[in-house]
Amino acid sequence: MTDCTARIREETARLLAEGRVDLVIGFEEGSLPLRATPCFITEPGDTGRLIWNAFCSNNLARYLIRSDRKVGIVAKGCDTRAIVELIKEKQVRREDVVIIGVPCHGMVDPHEVRERFGDIRIQTVEDTGGKLVAGDGTALLSMNREDALHRSCRVCVQRNPVISDVLVGEEVEERTRDEFTDVADFASRSAGERWEYIAGEMSRCIRCNACRNACPLCYCSKCFVDETRPQWVGRGTDPSDVLSFHLMRVLHLAGRCVECGACVRACPMGVDLGTLNRRMSADVARMFGCRPGLDPGKPAPLSTFDPDDPQDFMLEP
Amino acid sequence: MDGEMNDRVPGWEPRIVAFLCNWCSYAGADSAGVGRLQYPAAVRVIRVPCAGRINPFFILSAFQKGADGVLVSGCHPGDCHYISGNYSARRKFALLKGLLEHIGIEEGRLQFTWVSASEGERFASVIDTVTEKVLALGPARRMEKRYT
Amino acid sequence: MTPSGPTGAVLVLGGGISGIQAALDLADSGFRVYLVERRSAIGGVMAGLDKTFPTNDCSMCILSPKLVECGRHLNIEVLTNSELTALEGVPGAFTATIEQQPRFVSTEKCTGCGECAKVCPVKLPDSFNMGLSDRKAIYRLYEQAYPHSYMIDSAVCRRCGLCARKCSAGAIDLDMQPRTLSIPVGAVIACPGFEPFDASLIANYGYGTFPNVITSIEFERILSASGPSRGRLLRPSDGKEPHRIAWIQCVGSRDIHRVDNNYCSSVCCTYAIKEAVVAREHSGGNLETTIFHIDIRTHGKGFERYYERAKNEQGVRFVRSEISRIYQDGSGSLILRFPENGRISEEVYDLVVLSVGMVQDRANREMAERLGLHLDSHGFCETRTLSPVETSVPGIFAAGAFSGPKDIPEAVMGASAAAAEASAMLSHSRHTLTQRKSYPPEKPLLGGRPRIGVFICHCGINIASVVDIASVRDYAAGLPNVVLSEEALFTCSQDSQRMIRERVAEHRLNRVVVAACTPRTHEPLFQETLREAGLNKHLFEMANIRDQCAWVHQGEPEKATQKAKDLIRMSVARAKLIEPLPQAFLDVNRTALVIGGGVAGMVCASSLADQGFGVHLVESAAELGGNARRIHSTNDGADVDAFVSRLVESVSGNPSITIHTGTHISDVSGFVGNFRTMVENAEGIVEEISHGVAIIASGGEASKPDGYLYGVDPRVLTLQELEDEIARGNPDVTSSRNAVLVQCVGSRDEDRPYCSRTCCSKAMKLALALIEANPLVNVYVLYRDIRTYGFDEQFYLEARERGVRFLQYDPGNRPTVEIVEQDGRKRLRVVTTDLVLGREFSIDADLLGLATATVPSAGAAELAGLFKVPLNEDGFFMEAHIKLRPVDFPTEGVFVCGLAHSPKTIGESIVQAKAAASRAALVLCRDSIEAGGTVSVIDGPKCSGCGVCAALCPFKAIEMDESERKAVVNEALCKGCGLCASSCRCGAADVKGFTDGEICAMICSSVARGL
Repeated sequence: MTDCTARIREETARLLAEGRVDLVIGFEEGSLPLRATPCFITEPGDTGRLIWNAFCSNNLARYLIRSDRKVGIVAKGCDTRAIVELIKEKQVRREDVVIIGVPCHGMVDPHEVRERFGDIRIQTVEDTGGKLVAGDGTALLSMNREDALHRSCRVCVQRNPVISDVLVGEEVEERTRDEFTDVADFASRSAGERWEYIAGEMSRCIRCNACRNACPLCYCSKCFVDETRPQWVGRGTDPSDVLSFHLMRVLHLAGRCVECGACVRACPMGVDLGTLNRRMSADVARMFGCRPGLDPGKPAPLSTFDPDDPQDFMLEP
Repeated sequence: MDGEMNDRVPGWEPRIVAFLCNWCSYAGADSAGVGRLQYPAAVRVIRVPCAGRINPFFILSAFQKGADGVLVSGCHPGDCHYISGNYSARRKFALLKGLLEHIGIEEGRLQFTWVSASEGERFASVIDTVTEKVLALGPARRMEKRYT
Repeated sequence: MTPSGPTGAVLVLGGGISGIQAALDLADSGFRVYLVERRSAIGGVMAGLDKTFPTNDCSMCILSPKLVECGRHLNIEVLTNSELTALEGVPGAFTATIEQQPRFVSTEKCTGCGECAKVCPVKLPDSFNMGLSDRKAIYRLYEQAYPHSYMIDSAVCRRCGLCARKCSAGAIDLDMQPRTLSIPVGAVIACPGFEPFDASLIANYGYGTFPNVITSIEFERILSASGPSRGRLLRPSDGKEPHRIAWIQCVGSRDIHRVDNNYCSSVCCTYAIKEAVVAREHSGGNLETTIFHIDIRTHGKGFERYYERAKNEQGVRFVRSEISRIYQDGSGSLILRFPENGRISEEVYDLVVLSVGMVQDRANREMAERLGLHLDSHGFCETRTLSPVETSVPGIFAAGAFSGPKDIPEAVMGASAAAAEASAMLSHSRHTLTQRKSYPPEKPLLGGRPRIGVFICHCGINIASVVDIASVRDYAAGLPNVVLSEEALFTCSQDSQRMIRERVAEHRLNRVVVAACTPRTHEPLFQETLREAGLNKHLFEMANIRDQCAWVHQGEPEKATQKAKDLIRMSVARAKLIEPLPQAFLDVNRTALVIGGGVAGMVCASSLADQGFGVHLVESAAELGGNARRIHSTNDGADVDAFVSRLVESVSGNPSITIHTGTHISDVSGFVGNFRTMVENAEGIVEEISHGVAIIASGGEASKPDGYLYGVDPRVLTLQELEDEIARGNPDVTSSRNAVLVQCVGSRDEDRPYCSRTCCSKAMKLALALIEANPLVNVYVLYRDIRTYGFDEQFYLEARERGVRFLQYDPGNRPTVEIVEQDGRKRLRVVTTDLVLGREFSIDADLLGLATATVPSAGAAELAGLFKVPLNEDGFFMEAHIKLRPVDFPTEGVFVCGLAHSPKTIGESIVQAKAAASRAALVLCRDSIEAGGTVSVIDGPKCSGCGVCAALCPFKAIEMDESERKAVVNEALCKGCGLCASSCRCGAADVKGFTDGEICAMICSSVARGL
């Protein structure tokens, strides 16, 4: 058992015992190896279910939305970024939440592990500093932890919680700045190539809405896709409707997306949704100097303006 | 090849949807008329109270319906009849334009500009420029919804 | 005066921005207005300007809505081509005689199509464009002119009749005769404006001889997109683009040698900066601009920043030098010689712009004579600092540049102030002469399906010569829900309006689409017709097939016809979805809350009380008076102490005014018409005040200086303290031998990059007072620019004459002060380097006065938060529009005046206070406030309460209901811009009259393919 797991259990038990919260949201072991799933602890006696490991990738902030209870939450950097935005958007009251902040070394993508270790039936994975050691009961194999991270974690700029009430574990060193080189690389392709790639990715979308449902910042009671008067976007998998849906989703997250990667992980078809989000994040950072979730005191970029905002994109006939 | 078809398609007339704010750009378009300034007949104007009224979805919707180009024009910075509508809109427009370029919608399909009430000449030359670009790009098919 | 009270009508002389503002204020507060203009259209000088400083807003863009409003106002009669010939009677019951020259074109029938001008054979230089382009004998003053109709210049017309034959509207009547009107009015507002100085009077500049020497007013036209070169920056001699332009300041101003004008025109420095900046924008930066000036006088709100930006960021060069003569070279370029760094420099410019000042012409003098008004020696209407809009004749008020050089916001404030005076004088006759239109009750739609009538206009041949009307009519008839498609020669004519009303009844139409010209000018007319036909005015839609179709595709009739069909299809698609929009009416509490008991607050409170409204006056100090208690006298010799005492007395004794001294505001709720404000006193006792409007007059204060031994040596005083000591007759002060006044202590620096406006004039007043008290005193004024704008220039001249020494210092090398022990005495030694002479001066002063900055009062930020109104970066309240709404806020029902707005003189505070009273009265005199119409609406169940709409709303019309987590629209404040709707992710916000559904319907039907 890691130190973090022990501390999380301890803090949870304390918060519940002291009556400061009605509920603590954290992670427990998933039913499959290489998985951790959200769990909800209301009894101090149940804290033994809580764990902390390399697979606690879900963004738990979305369970806080418009909750009427006092909630404790285990939160990584990206979870706290989402909480910051939700507080700004009045979906969460700061005083109703106790944040058990956990510095994060990046979460591991099970697909990467499986890909690296091939067909062995992984039963255990040990996270030992820079290495992941997997075992199938007979042999042990190891790989660089960095190589197994989720894409969103590889470019993460906020591994430590932005806000927290209790900090569990040692603060980790933040990475160097994200220069959005992936976005620049994609932009360097021709428009035709970019279109081919995007159209190819979009063609796999089955409109299951998993991306929307996983997002900690998608909380409208009626989503624009369900709107009929007017019908903003058709419901089927017509390529034009699929694209419109994804573009609007990204536009709705403009200046709000905390880059947690939940949508990408949720997609059962492996559609590269990240490319759209990343472009949006890059533009928001470049033009409006904003990384969502990092600054609780700053208005969201689309809730304000600066008379000197860039306008070199505008046509001068 | 970036333009889907650089040769003129026989029988094809470009369709450009223009969203103009009531107080400046729509007045600028009227002013072009008063001056009898001639410009291509490809543009279909939708009058909105303010550039700030324009939901990015309107623009996507126009492309879905088969517009070959979309133009959005509001009051110059500082001139907005609603004080700051155009400033707030400018942020949305910047992001939308970047996103459409990112997915490979050709530069030139979507244009934003400012035209004031007295700038009839500027309005006419905006329409010239926009139409010329769209003509060079040919019909827009990438986002168009094919009704089958 | 009639037994029933004064005449409830006002005569406004002059249709410039002042006249327009005064007319609108008065007509909206229950008086009938006659707006008399000499020219053929209203708009004045502002209509000819390109941009306005310091925001570079387009002048026409901000003016034209006011022109339309004035033109359409039921209670404003615009009399163009008219002149007052006599005024008889007494205040409250005058009779004005107006002579109106014939226009020869019926304003009712003319559609403004311009076909007449095309056939007119007479061409002459267009005076609106200063002769830089041509016009015809039949013409319109300018494109957006009101009245919109053409007129015939009878002086040059040959009466050939070609225009009358061409006009298919039958609007031309060559036999029209002059007419004389006799109009009973209760009061008169004289605001006939100014003329630009005639630059040819200064022969050395070659204006009129050298084609590339032009005036600033001509340059405005050259810059204007609607000007002679359609906004291209070209010089007159050869039509080439200039690469070097010089401005010469003070042409006809501050000049007692060449033209005997001892005043400053106040606006030229800032407009020259604007012209230079805008010209550089036009040329893409490939332009050198130099402004030759004496002092740079950027004393207005935001002007100093504008100047600094032009100088430091936008590459405008400033040279402090007077140009005595201009020479022309062989290429038409101009040579300027000027002293610089001790020798004569010579520079060549492609174009020279003369920054001409404001003067009064003969026509205004003659008019003043007919009114019996006293004029000053320059022909400006005489007014006094403490009664700034009153003239020498009771019942006649002066506004605008008629009473002295002013910029646009000062003119607008003066106009509103004059309106307040007239309104107070005639308040018993409010609503006695105004008209109100009544309409038949609206027919309910009863959920029936849309029955759309489409009316297609030929506009004579304007549309019909390009668009195939019959084919369009047949096409429209086949569109879904269209039950009638009909054409008309002129849809806007009286008989067509009647026809539309009849068709609505016959065919039970419940939506009307008119395909004609532009909704911007004609939508209100057709909406009126709908109301007369018993339909809600919003059940109307217009397709612009003239201005944006027939006129711009004249060579492509087929494409134009197709476009007209598409536009009508789009309009019909929208029309199907439009719903009647109900108007709600909210009661108005007819009481005002005035915050601040200084001169601005007291004047505002008195004016409102005089206009018949109740006032609560809140002051944080124990007694009324504010800063004015420390002014003592004005430059023109008025006794301020006596004025303030009288004002306090009259406010205190006024039964309509309730005074709350020693209190502050602790909470504000509500909105225009119905505010509730908590006023708390020192003991914590809270009183609730209900009021309809609030006026913020919270004032300002003098900054405390840093350095200069202030607070260390008793001989160092602020100018405010010095003024107190002089007034008190303190012998230590009045007997001083060497007095030094240092200007710009705490203003125009990095912390406060603005000019405090009043200190230069105050320094002149104090310098002259010191000399008066002790003729042997040496007074030194250490300055950066002397900014004695307007008529205060004469005090600068007087100070120079009486021996005051002016030493100019560099802000990078400020004067220093130290105490030096010499001969057993502590001398106060001031050392400064004079930029003009280039040498150092050391002065042993026995008096040092510091011109400190004017800063906002401490409570400004808190008040701003309570009333949800903005402050600017310097902490002063930020008005809704720096030019045309100088006392309003974006939030309706809240107004500002006095030092809370920006540094200003007591006279300017009085003007602004009365202006605020006038604007506030517009709300208070209404029976109810109209809400609804084209406003935003929030669908509660869909709203997630994220607050983006409330954060963005420019009018603070959306509030968050925190407990329900929902946004709530206040229809009384919403202007219907739709920013909330486009920003709402949940689809909860929409705009009535411009709904998402309507816009999407238009988008769907805009592209012909697939339909």
